[in-house]
Amino acid sequence: MHRTILSAAALACSAVLAGAAPAFADDPTAVPSAPPTASTPGPGTEPSQAPTPSVSSPAPAPSVSSPAPAPSVSSPAPTAVPSPVAGQVSAVPKGAPDTGAAGPRSSGGGAGLVGAGAGAVLLAGGAGVFVVRRRRAATGA
Amino acid sequence: MTPLSRRAFAAALPAVLLAGCGGGGDAPVRPGTTASSAHVPAEPVRPLERSVPIGLRIPAIGVDTPVIRLGLAADGTVEVPPVTDDDRAGWYRHSPTPGQVGPSVVLGHVTVGAHGDGVFRHLARLHRGDRIEARLENGTTARFTVTAVRTVAKADFPTDDVYGDVDRPELRLITCGGPRVGEEYRDNVIAFAALSATGPATS
Repeated sequence: MHRTILSAAALACSAVLAGAAPAFADDPTAVPSAPPTASTPGPGTEPSQAPTPSVSSPAPAPSVSSPAPAPSVSSPAPTAVPSPVAGQVSAVPKGAPDTGAAGPRSSGGGAGLVGAGAGAVLLAGGAGVFVVRRRRAATGA
Repeated sequence: MTPLSRRAFAAALPAVLLAGCGGGGDAPVRPGTTASSAHVPAEPVRPLERSVPIGLRIPAIGVDTPVIRLGLAADGTVEVPPVTDDDRAGWYRHSPTPGQVGPSVVLGHVTVGAHGDGVFRHLARLHRGDRIEARLENGTTARFTVTAVRTVAKADFPTDDVYGDVDRPELRLITCGGPRVGEEYRDNVIAFAALSATGPATS
């Protein structure tokens, strides 16, 4: 009778651990997501409002490739209403776009290992207690 | 160990092994490179009037996304779309609209952090000749044909090739690619395309 009960308890614990460990590894709700809006830039980016044109401003805005006379080196900021037909790209961005927010590839695997390890430790402890109690019951100690 | 103990361990061991297999399921990004030479469409297509893009469809890689507007960040770099679960492409609003003469620039993420893949996750799989459709605000559709796909190091980003003046309506689709260096990607993947047809919007 005791054997049956204890065996059932061990199997139930194993099933619980088996279900819990994958939840540690792949929890898709770990990071809240901001609702996308039509013109809102992502985190880490500034608002999409372009710098205000300024004749005297030497701000480090991108250079202008437009052959039109309006933009110049001293006022590199884009005009309020770009005219791409005349100048094509009216304000050339600096550098390369950062269009790849790296995912938590390594942390996902780590969480899986942590879950598996914790499950193994708990299982080993439970099995040890189980064996000791059985031996005590058998010897009448 | 008694026979009962062995049975208990035998029953528990598969459960532990299964638990260990639960994580680490995301496959590494493998954008690849398909650099190809430029290809000019057979006949020049009449440019379109200015109209802001509202949608982008790339059947070859299963993209059908709304398009938002992007500008310049304070540091002079181009803005990128928000990092969200359901991310979308973004048109750089200081570039021509699709179908106008000049390089119209559209950006999208290859991955969006914890959310997984981005809208341009398979951009590097495009090949010369693949079709791209840009739906415009005025109801027309600008259809482009891919002329080249390049994977370039971010340190050597080809600014002139991407943003420089051209003599016909062209499209640039940009995302990240190559191996990850820390939390970033080493390269950019850039698809170059030229206007091949125009017409009413298709459902």
